[in-house]
Amino acid sequence: MALFVAGLSHKNAPVELREQLAVEEDKLRELLRDIAATGVVQETLILSTCNRVEVYGVAEAPGEARAVVFRQLCRYRGVSHASVEPLLYTHVDDAAVHHAFRVAASLDSMLIGEPQILGQVKDAFALAQGCETVGPALHTLFTQAFAVGKKVRSETEIARHAVSVSFAAVELAKKIFAGLGGRAVLLVGAGKMGELAARHLVEQGAFPIYVANRTWQRAQEMARALSGAAVPFAELEVALAGVDIVITSTGAPEPIVTRAMVQRVMHGRRARPLFFIDIAVPRDVEGSANTLDNVYCYDIDDLKQVVEANLRERLREAQRAEVLVEREVAKFLARQGDVEVIPTIVSLRERLEEIRVGEVKKALARLPGATAETREAIEGLSSAIVNKILHAPISKLRESSRAGSSRSWLELVHELFGLGRK
Amino acid sequence: MYPTLLDLAIFGYIAATGLSLAYLVQREEWLHRLASVATIAGWVLHTVALLGVAFRLGRPPLGSLSEAVSVAVWVAVLWALWAERQYGVKVLGAFVLPVVLVFGINSATTRPLAIPGIERALGSAWIWVHIGLVLLGIAAFVLNFAGALMYVLQERQLKAKRPGKLYYRLPDLETLDRLTYRTLALGFPFLTTGLILGVLWAGRAWGSVFAYDPLALLSFVAWTIYAGTLAGRAAAGWHGRRAAYFAIIGFAALVLTLGAGMFLPGRHGS
Repeated sequence: MALFVAGLSHKNAPVELREQLAVEEDKLRELLRDIAATGVVQETLILSTCNRVEVYGVAEAPGEARAVVFRQLCRYRGVSHASVEPLLYTHVDDAAVHHAFRVAASLDSMLIGEPQILGQVKDAFALAQGCETVGPALHTLFTQAFAVGKKVRSETEIARHAVSVSFAAVELAKKIFAGLGGRAVLLVGAGKMGELAARHLVEQGAFPIYVANRTWQRAQEMARALSGAAVPFAELEVALAGVDIVITSTGAPEPIVTRAMVQRVMHGRRARPLFFIDIAVPRDVEGSANTLDNVYCYDIDDLKQVVEANLRERLREAQRAEVLVEREVAKFLARQGDVEVIPTIVSLRERLEEIRVGEVKKALARLPGATAETREAIEGLSSAIVNKILHAPISKLRESSRAGSSRSWLELVHELFGLGRK
Repeated sequence: MYPTLLDLAIFGYIAATGLSLAYLVQREEWLHRLASVATIAGWVLHTVALLGVAFRLGRPPLGSLSEAVSVAVWVAVLWALWAERQYGVKVLGAFVLPVVLVFGINSATTRPLAIPGIERALGSAWIWVHIGLVLLGIAAFVLNFAGALMYVLQERQLKAKRPGKLYYRLPDLETLDRLTYRTLALGFPFLTTGLILGVLWAGRAWGSVFAYDPLALLSFVAWTIYAGTLAGRAAAGWHGRRAAYFAIIGFAALVLTLGAGMFLPGRHGS
């Protein structure tokens, strides 16, 4: 019986093919039941997202199972099996565990560290559970995969640093201000991207929101959409004095916020920092404003640079995550191995304990005048002998299971100690 | 026995410094945990060592400048442990501990256990209060310096718009500014009161306040810088970079002051 995963992902399959193969939930249920009915797999689970279609399972012959499953899947989706087959990868046993952990930890994702994948794996698991195609092997595997995914997220910064311009702006704001709750935001211009950045700030608790736009009507609309207030475009400088974060995204050909203006504004702010997020091209804020004390002025190129640095940081963290995942795989396999030999160890102990208790009883029956001390000594002596005898075979069993050679040892132990059928 | 304990404490601080710096570069939680353990272990050993000295001498371990600096280090470590939790600045150790270490090693290696005539000079209870208050102030300024240094580094990263490793590790500017301000507000009253007591006592005992004592002179310079920063903060709304630069300059003056006390001839004993 082997654990396997077979499928294709963004790494080797073009998006057109992945699109064609992606299965929606209802169909997935049907498919799972059909596959289970063929009997080639004992347990199975299908993970279908826009970046991967993978089948996890337990089967006697993984190669055959893979062929059956994907033939079925291709028939469902009207794709020729011949075009899919050469793109499929298969991992068996240890490698399958490793793959499952990497997927759950978002290390195999197109955008490393993206958070959705863990939820998608959880959904796939729940779906397969609903169809009763999950057995003990997949259950243990995926419960552990979820834990590993969570651990990687919390112990590395793989998912920490923003990889979109608008989120990078939010993160920068968090390096200037201690939390964004109650920070006033001014949105100048009514572009989509500016709105998006403003929304991210609102989600982090920024309040209140002011909107300035050349057309008063548009400013009011946007203000309503963001639960903010419109301010007259002509009074931009007044508005600047009272806010912490400014997002500019107008189509103006010349800067609308000049260095001199910012300097005047800063004068009355008692050094309260002012953060400009200038996503307009051409720029809305004079770049030289950045040289003023407590003024931080990021244009779109600066933000992109931060995003690139963030990506590099993510990749660095991904290396640490890989090490962590490998360690988790080793731990998991070691435990799995133990699980295999534990029943034998238990029955071995029971068998010897049974013998010991019986013999002690007989011995004590022959010693009617034995004091409590003598009884205790006999109990102690017999227990010690049993433990000493058990020590070597038990450690050998554990060892062999970790080395992957437990089967012959299990049989040997059963035979030698007369433990009956496994 | 007691010097050995102090050596062990220093060894703990050395380990803690190394681990904290490693944590700054490599974000591994276990490094931070180990650094905390080493810091606390060093501090506990330090406590026992100081108590040992106090019992043996039958007086507070503040009889010489190096003893006093040792106690200042002890207070600084305690405050750093507190501030780290209070402000959630996990990298604080990397900025406080190196300073602590330099002071600690200095005070442990230049250890005159008895200055001639010290007993007579220490007869007045006021002198103990003077020393105690000043070193509480110094301990606060160690944190003040660390906060300011972190602020300057983070501010640079943000202005340059090229996030380096430190950008990801250091906390936000506002938290750092608050840490710097609070430690200044905490240390300044201690330093001021301590210095006033010293001046009063010196006037009575030495005749003249700053007579031939480089430490006393330099301490006045340091105090002026800190007073100016505090005034600027409170009245003129200085924040951020300017306040941070002044904190760093103030601390440099403080270090010079202590160095002068330790290495130049004067009345604070060398």
